[in-house]
Amino acid sequence: MDNKEQTDKILFLLKSIDEKLDKLLRMKHIYMADEVPEGLDVMTLLSLPDHLRTTATALIENGVSTAEDLAKITSKKRAVESSYLNQLVRMGHVRKFRKGKKVFFEIQSSL
Amino acid sequence: MSFSISIHSSKGGTGKTCIAQNLAYAYAMDGKNVCLLDLDLKSPSLFSGLFPVKDCWLNSVLEGRQEIDDVLVDATREMGTKGRVCVGYSNPDIAEIREISLKDRRWQSQALQKLIDCKKKLFSSGFDVVIMDSSPGVDYTSVNVVACSEYVITVFKSGESRGVQLVINGIYKPLEKRCFAIENMNNGVSSFSFEDQIPVPVLARIPCMCDVSKYGTKKLFTCEDPAHPFSKAIFNLKDQIC
Ligand SMILES: Nc1ncnc2c1ncn2[C@@H]1O[C@H](COP(=O)(O)OP(=O)(O)OP(=O)(O)O)[C@@H](O)[C@H]1O
Ligand SMILES: [Mg+2]
Repeated sequence: MDNKEQTDKILFLLKSIDEKLDKLLRMKHIYMADEVPEGLDVMTLLSLPDHLRTTATALIENGVSTAEDLAKITSKKRAVESSYLNQLVRMGHVRKFRKGKKVFFEIQSSL
Repeated sequence: MSFSISIHSSKGGTGKTCIAQNLAYAYAMDGKNVCLLDLDLKSPSLFSGLFPVKDCWLNSVLEGRQEIDDVLVDATREMGTKGRVCVGYSNPDIAEIREISLKDRRWQSQALQKLIDCKKKLFSSGFDVVIMDSSPGVDYTSVNVVACSEYVITVFKSGESRGVQLVINGIYKPLEKRCFAIENMNNGVSSFSFEDQIPVPVLARIPCMCDVSKYGTKKLFTCEDPAHPFSKAIFNLKDQIC
């Protein structure tokens, strides 16, 4: 096999891998849209691990809050609450936004 | 300090609606401002017509189409109580009940937020006690109600305590609720074996009474017959809660 032939073969393989990846990502997108609920319904809340459920329960009851607000309610450290809240954000249950210097969290709304 | 109580049970027909409406009246007689909500969306009771009704429903509040103040009916004058009594109802129209059963998680998540907003609004407009009568068993309609209240009272019939432990340990406790139990329709025989202990305080053991079963939910005992043993049990319950 000469150089040109080898390069073509590699390019062909790369292209087909690329297409397959795209296809997988598209499938994953559909899958995720189905699986990750917007907001936080009570049955999903009940299925969360204890530490995240405590944080989420406090956020549901308190409404828009900072990590510090929740730390007061749950008697945990602010940094700990902040990390739990960010986990809930990545899971798609909680929305995070900035207002001035402060970072606020609220249950993701479907509206 | 205002608070809300949800009345729930793991099984149906344990006396929730009876207890909810009589307890509401008992609080109002004490001068507390009470809001009584029928949140049994699957099987609305209308509290058997004991209080005035208007063509406005809690369903619209959960949908975000109406505010809680718009759907409540003020029953204070009819009841003649010292405190205010306002009542909110679930829509008994079968099409609405079918609609509720089709709601998805997203809607249920919104409904929970609405319920909490609603409760806060009621507290800030001067209600001292919000009593929420729920559906039995475990589904969105009932667990949403449990999730938005400060206290949960679980009502069980004698001899049916197993399901009670399941909801206490699997629903109320994970949601960090303060919970109490009521054993209703007790037939004089203690129904517990040792391993069957209820893991929360049992505030009342109300006997099975012919009068109560005869009138069903259509008689407000605490109002019409305050000396009745059922009324006394309710007054006693009220004093133990707050
Ligand atoms: N202590 C009692 N003694 C006798 N009958 C009772 C007693 N408590 C309730 N009942 C009767 O039991 C029946 C069911 O009561 P109720 O409708 O309040 O139950 P519920 O838990 O609200 O039912 P559901 O789960 O269907 O909403 C009624 O006819 C009521 O009068
Ligand atoms: Mg009922």
